[in-house]
Amino acid sequence: MIELSLALPLSRYRLEVTASLPADTVAVLGPSGSGKTSLLEAIAGLRPKAVGRVVIRGECVMDTANGLRLPPERRRIGYVPQDACLFPHLDVRDNVRFGMRSNGSGLFEEAVAILEIAPLLGRFPGTLSGGERQRVALARAIATEPRLLLLDEPLAAIDLALRGRILPYLLRVRESLGVPFLYVTHNAGEARAVAEAALVLRRGAVAFAGTPEAALEVMSADEDPEARFDNILAGVLEVTGQDGEIGTLRVGDAHFTVPREKGVPAGWRAVYSVAPEDVLVSTKPLEGISARNVHGGRVVSVGTAGPDAWIAIAAAGLEWTARLTRTASDVLGLETGLEVWIAVKTQAFKRLR
Amino acid sequence: MEPRSDLSILLLTLRVAAIATLVILPVGIFAAWRLSRREGAVRTLAETLLSLPLVLPPTAVGLLLLEALRRSGPLGRLLDRLGIEVLFTWKAVVLATAVMSFPLLVRPARTAFEEVDPRLLAMGRSLGSGPLAVFRRVALPLAWRGILAGTLLAFSRALGEFGATIMIAGSIPGRTQTMALAIFQRNQIGQDDASMRLVGITVVISFLIVWTTEFITRRRTRRAMG
Repeated sequence: MIELSLALPLSRYRLEVTASLPADTVAVLGPSGSGKTSLLEAIAGLRPKAVGRVVIRGECVMDTANGLRLPPERRRIGYVPQDACLFPHLDVRDNVRFGMRSNGSGLFEEAVAILEIAPLLGRFPGTLSGGERQRVALARAIATEPRLLLLDEPLAAIDLALRGRILPYLLRVRESLGVPFLYVTHNAGEARAVAEAALVLRRGAVAFAGTPEAALEVMSADEDPEARFDNILAGVLEVTGQDGEIGTLRVGDAHFTVPREKGVPAGWRAVYSVAPEDVLVSTKPLEGISARNVHGGRVVSVGTAGPDAWIAIAAAGLEWTARLTRTASDVLGLETGLEVWIAVKTQAFKRLR
Repeated sequence: MEPRSDLSILLLTLRVAAIATLVILPVGIFAAWRLSRREGAVRTLAETLLSLPLVLPPTAVGLLLLEALRRSGPLGRLLDRLGIEVLFTWKAVVLATAVMSFPLLVRPARTAFEEVDPRLLAMGRSLGSGPLAVFRRVALPLAWRGILAGTLLAFSRALGEFGATIMIAGSIPGRTQTMALAIFQRNQIGQDDASMRLVGITVVISFLIVWTTEFITRRRTRRAMG
């Protein structure tokens, strides 16, 4: 449970966010310049001009109307900014240890294990890749045992190599530590995969607060060129395909055929991304098609934005997002509740971890 | 007055310059830090005042100090009551060189602090360190090159201070006569060789210090660009 009621004057508009989120994991979405980073900084206590109230799981860190404004060092909020902001004069080990108390209490070992940064401990930030920096910054934040994590994924991460994404690690953090977090992302698909609630901002105001699935519809209507709607699949690689040609990923009860993965052991907890353009939709059972992943399901919702149609489909125990042209959607007569089949090529599965 | 050896003059000079540098170091670092985090008219005024010793004739600074330390003045009276004698002692040399060197320490140190990304300081706060701890753990280690460069500059300036020193400390061999003063005095009484020997020593020392400073600053620039 995260309660926010914040106001902060910015150069072009005033940030005003009031939301009571009945979840511990929240995705913050919205176009560039909508105030997402400013919101995180205000929560972390780094914006002296911010006024309002912040309550995390019943603990109040700020309530300016009643004269409470904890300084950032007493909020115990772990902040991972876009550019990671690692201390350049310290190696990775000392960066991760920076926020731990002098008696050594904290989650150093856990942070290093979850973020898989043991091989990086002796290196300096200047020698790390963008993805590695993000992981170290997240490790540094969770090592302090924060009551809340704030993650600001850089927009540049969209163009970053897939393996640089922080998302798979955030899934691990959620699983093993259960720390509440706010995750800024441009990827509505990632929001759906990692968060229980979503907050969409537009010009400093709350455009939507609710489930990540519903946020998808709000976002797709926005025509934000930076927004992404990838399908995220987290599961177990049962066959890596090292001997044969292809691998097998199990998500829940469903199995998917994925590309051959060298250097990954069977049993690996993998995370895959499938672009919405790569999900084919058919209103008839598919036979004699080269795509290896064919599943029957039902249309959950149909949304349109410009020339695009965004189709949400429940299939194989997951909710998929498919992006079609509006014309294609009209010709097929797609509507909520209709029985459909989806097909995804093996090569459309891109492994994030 | 008995003539003093080159070595004893050199040692006296090094000693007062070192003490003056040590005295201004904490004050200068603090001033540089505060200035680097401020904007506006107060900062401009403070910077101007701090830089005055760089541009005023040193003898003018010396005369102002002399006025301040006069027994009839408030500061002089206080020191007199405490039984501290400053004028025309080695303490006066330290005072004169400290005042004249101060801006040379503060300016590079301030620039170095300004180059520290304020977001790193905010990050330090967010990770549980108070303002003082952030200064010690983030700002100081990131600005140390500039502070060291400023310290060396201030020290070398202290070694060569003449004008302010002669006004409030005189040129007493064995007590207040530093290299700069001794060069002048020996030259005045026609000891050109002895004077030139001291010049040679100062050239070597100054060369080493300035060279080291250049080396440090150069490396900082290259690192900032890379």
